[in-house]
Amino acid sequence: MQPATGAASVSDSPESYEAAVERLEEIIDRLDSGQAGLRETLDLCREGRELVKYCAAELDEVGEGLKELRLDDLAARLESETA
Amino acid sequence: MGEALEKSRVTNLPGPFAVGTYARKLQGWMRERARVQLIGEVTGVGRSKVQAYFELRDSEGAVPCAIWLNDLEKAGLTEGSLRDGAEVVISGGLDYYPGGGHASPNFCFRATHLRLAGEGDLIARLEALRKELRAEGLFELQKQLHRPALPKAIGVVTAETGAARRDLCAGLERRGWGGSVIWGFAPVQDRHAAPAIGRALQDLAARPEVEAIVVTRGGGSLADLWAFCDETLCRTVAMLRVPVISAVGHERDKTLIDDVAAVACSTPTHAAEAAVPLDCLAARESLERCAVGLRRAGEGAIAHRSRHLGALARGPARALQRERGLLNQKIREIRAASERGLADRANRQERIGGVVLERARRRALGADMEKRRDALKRAEVALRAHEPERTLERGYALVEGGGGEPVTTAEAATAAGEVKLRFADGRVRARIDAAGDGGGERER
Repeated sequence: MQPATGAASVSDSPESYEAAVERLEEIIDRLDSGQAGLRETLDLCREGRELVKYCAAELDEVGEGLKELRLDDLAARLESETA
Repeated sequence: MGEALEKSRVTNLPGPFAVGTYARKLQGWMRERARVQLIGEVTGVGRSKVQAYFELRDSEGAVPCAIWLNDLEKAGLTEGSLRDGAEVVISGGLDYYPGGGHASPNFCFRATHLRLAGEGDLIARLEALRKELRAEGLFELQKQLHRPALPKAIGVVTAETGAARRDLCAGLERRGWGGSVIWGFAPVQDRHAAPAIGRALQDLAARPEVEAIVVTRGGGSLADLWAFCDETLCRTVAMLRVPVISAVGHERDKTLIDDVAAVACSTPTHAAEAAVPLDCLAARESLERCAVGLRRAGEGAIAHRSRHLGALARGPARALQRERGLLNQKIREIRAASERGLADRANRQERIGGVVLERARRRALGADMEKRRDALKRAEVALRAHEPERTLERGYALVEGGGGEPVTTAEAATAAGEVKLRFADGRVRARIDAAGDGGGERER
């Protein structure tokens, strides 16, 4: 049996966090429907785990406290680098 | 040829007039122009002994203005009200001072009345600008931009010192977001504010890592927030490729930048939520639930199918056992039926045997009877040959007594006296007359 929605290849990195979450919700819905066969279920679980890993990494990137930068400093740094 | 024509044109113009005469006429012409009201921001205020002078400016241009001090006093302004950055409304008209032999000429808008711009003036001006920008479709451009749910870096334009900065950071941290904040500090209230804010916005938008920009400041009067109604600034915001979230003033304040921005927020905290739509803390919990759900789904699918396969594996044995039971039942039924059938058949055969025997017996009896019948018939014929009737038929008569008994002797007949004579065709009575026989001799 084929999955209801086109399963993205596990190796494909999601376009964004939103896209990953959207696909993850599709996967959960499909699994909850109980209509997926064993092979499809295992494929979806594998893809879902990759998406969870991707989303967790995205959250980790913004999970270590605010990093405050000044536009002036960035501009000055850019100028010194190009000089 | 061309030079000659040009020379001819120039030399054919009226004049030359004396410049002083021309200057006087120019003054007269200017003073005849219509008197109007102007609104704008005061800059470059200066005073002489008799008048105050300043420029009235907005983002589109400026006009040099002057007001006699006695007219200024009539305006009843408090000391220092006419200062750089003040929004004023002036009434008056064009004027020209022709100067003289040693005095320089001077052009200005001669104000005869001046007042600080009120909320109503600013609102009217704001509405005119709003109408113009909306008609140009500038309110829609930012709203069509994609706003990422989880930006890694955001830009913020605000005053370096102010509650808005602190509130924004607090809002971001409450969402569990700890990405990069690039501050583009700028004045947020005076005539320098709008250009500085515009530059900061453009610089932030030029940075590739910036995915959203927040412009924020605290509340104030419309005059205080007027920089955020600047036409040039709002046109700049509308054209940016990065979504801008405005959080200027309080909930009731509605500046022009709110209209052109992708999202207009009432507070810096709200702006933090708009800049980072994803609540990172809630997202982590949700992600954890997803991971658990996926693990259960994977393991459950295998366990469920294992049980199913186990059931399927036990199926044939169970089916065999069931079939065996059914078979035994059939055998029992067949055996019982067979026994019933044998008994029936025995009974039936017994019945048939009886019938056959009966029939045989009857057949056997039939043959005997035939013989007997023949013998009987022969006996009957023989008997019939001896029957008295046969004798009677040959002409003999039988003498019978009164009771029908045969009278076989003459003596008996005499004794009877009266007898019956039986012929073949019937009986007749007869009387025996013994005398008539002649002495008792019997006929033989």
